Amino acid sequence: MGLIKEPRDIDFYVDPRPLTKEEEKRISDFIKADKKKHKRRKMIKINTNA
Amino acid sequence: MVMKLQYIDIEIDKLTNSLENVTTGDSFQTDIIITDQNDFEFITKKDGWLFNWKDEFKKPDRDVYKLTIVNNQKVIQGLVSLSVKADHVYMHLIESAPFNRGKNKVYAGVPGNLVAFACKLSFQRGFEGYLSFLSKTNLIDHYEKTLGAIHTGGQLMVINTNAALKLTNKYFDK
Repeated sequence: MGLIKEPRDIDFYVDPRPLTKEEEKRISDFIKADKKKHKRRKMIKINTNA
Repeated sequence: MVMKLQYIDIEIDKLTNSLENVTTGDSFQTDIIITDQNDFEFITKKDGWLFNWKDEFKKPDRDVYKLTIVNNQKVIQGLVSLSVKADHVYMHLIESAPFNRGKNKVYAGVPGNLVAFACKLSFQRGFEGYLSFLSKTNLIDHYEKTLGAIHTGGQLMVINTNAALKLTNKYFDK
């Protein structure tokens, strides 16, 4: 992997806060769906190879 | 109550197996270990750090890890704050040391190392590498390209198993 173009300055800003319940749910829903998608792909691959 | 936002805003400069001295190109093997209270004496805004890591360290729901060069553990190259959630690892904060930021940085590869470590932790906890964080809007594309992170709406980004495997294999394959 090559060098990524550098910015002149790196700025951070932070105001501490936890994730909202809605965001936590969104992440969990995404993870569930993503796992399902990859499981399905894997099964299709196995069936094609059989 | 007005909720303030905290975004992850760090430029992934280069994915390396270790840290690379920007001037000489020399590589250095790294360690990532959990911090203790004594680490924060010189991790202050006065010393050029941008986040209040001492406060971050005190928060009970997260752990702060430090990246150092092997055999030189007194000099902290970068820090990351992580929480283990129910189904993934969440990255609250990540920061390169002041001397590793901007155009005059000493070492490249700090953020990549720390993100790969977070993915490794996720695998170890049985979460298949899943890692999430809040990105600053203008860095979403950058995280997609460099980390393989997936933008799931708003500032939310998720690194899934495939991307996490690539990162951990890159850094921890030995």
